[in-house]
Amino acid sequence: MSEKFHTELDRLKQDTTEMVQFARDMLSESVNALIRLDSAKALQVVLKKKHIRDVTITLEDRTYQLIALYQPMAKDMRVIACTLKMITAAERIGRYGKDIANMVKHLQDQPDFTQSLPIPPMADQVLGMIDDAITAFETENIAAIKDFSSRDDMVDALWHSIFRETLTFMMENPKTITRSTYHIMVARYLERSGDHACKMAENIYYMVTGERIDIK
Amino acid sequence: MPESTIISTQNLNLWYHEKHALQSVSIKIPKNKVTALIGPSGCGKSTLLRCFNRLNDLIDHVKISGEILLDNMNIYAAGTDVVMLRKKVGMVFQKPNPFPKTIYENVAYGPRVHGVKGKGELDIIVEQSLRNAALWDEVRDRLDDSALGLSGGQQQRLCIARTLAVEPEVILMDEPCSALDPIATAKIEKLIDTLKRDYTVIIVTHNMQQAARVSDYAGFMYLGKLIEFGQTTQIFENPHEDLTENYITGRFG
Repeated sequence: MSEKFHTELDRLKQDTTEMVQFARDMLSESVNALIRLDSAKALQVVLKKKHIRDVTITLEDRTYQLIALYQPMAKDMRVIACTLKMITAAERIGRYGKDIANMVKHLQDQPDFTQSLPIPPMADQVLGMIDDAITAFETENIAAIKDFSSRDDMVDALWHSIFRETLTFMMENPKTITRSTYHIMVARYLERSGDHACKMAENIYYMVTGERIDIK
Repeated sequence: MPESTIISTQNLNLWYHEKHALQSVSIKIPKNKVTALIGPSGCGKSTLLRCFNRLNDLIDHVKISGEILLDNMNIYAAGTDVVMLRKKVGMVFQKPNPFPKTIYENVAYGPRVHGVKGKGELDIIVEQSLRNAALWDEVRDRLDDSALGLSGGQQQRLCIARTLAVEPEVILMDEPCSALDPIATAKIEKLIDTLKRDYTVIIVTHNMQQAARVSDYAGFMYLGKLIEFGQTTQIFENPHEDLTENYITGRFG
């Protein structure tokens, strides 16, 4: 029984890692599509939404089955709990990717000034956090997530900076309101994705150590 | 630990012939709580349980060292009244073992042995004990029927009622649900939860989920040693010892 359970648990963890990676790539590709105003690339991201939804259901079902069949305890229970949270976070991140990708078509006819906003560095910062959360989940090495608090502060600072800058554009020229609103939403989705990376990190820390931490 | 201690052992060792079955076990059992002892077969958990009411005295070639205090009195001290000890520390076994008597007589037996003679007084004790064992409503109309006609789960609750009838302080349960179906098991588990208001319960179980459900504290034993003892939530969510972790996650045992 236990061998079968642990094999299935390992497989679940591996597939969840792949799902988070898939969601991370959706976010990354959507930002690339936005910066290049590449609607074909954006459409590809939008079409991935169904896959992420299907994988969410499948992985959640497998998790529930393991709980129902084996009633895991101690570390096994914490892996299961963390996996469920990772699935939820990954689905949200994937959907933010889809939402950003959906904006590309609205921005195509607008003059581009994404280059003047710190959206690319903000995306890099968030994607780096997601990458490190994936590594920590996979390897159960929490070294990679130790400085998430300060990294999240940086993401928040970039979000506020974009918000203020965009507000200035809108006040100076009301014609920029439409695209500026989209840019604010992009920055907001990136900031939320950073929060999900922090939540993943908190759960990974619990999975590995059994202790709770609060990443602010 | 904030709770008061009802039973404590200090450096308890027990040998069956040459076999060193309990090795320097020191444990404090909190009062009015449910404590579960878990561990693989042969780890010493039932042996430890049987030390608490000196049932091991009945086995030949048993040698014990160290001390066990019940309400701060050493139960292995010379002159201990073992009958009174077993009145204070009752026991429920793996297989229901009612006497081949009526339901009423099963419960009245203990108080009678301890000197209660009046029918009225016995009636009150029998009813109260059966109520406390969550059996009264099922047997109130057939108290004079044989106890052997009850279902397994009812027989086990009758054994609990029999234990309660002599007003113990501690109830030892050695795998009390292993011979029962899930519905009867659920009833016993619910009963254990209500019993701790008035009694201290120590339960030995192989069913880890059951230990996690019913107990407030849990001790993990392995090869005669108490490896880890703590609050049940800590033991089952985040055990400190690798041996405990490996056992409760099914990696050995």
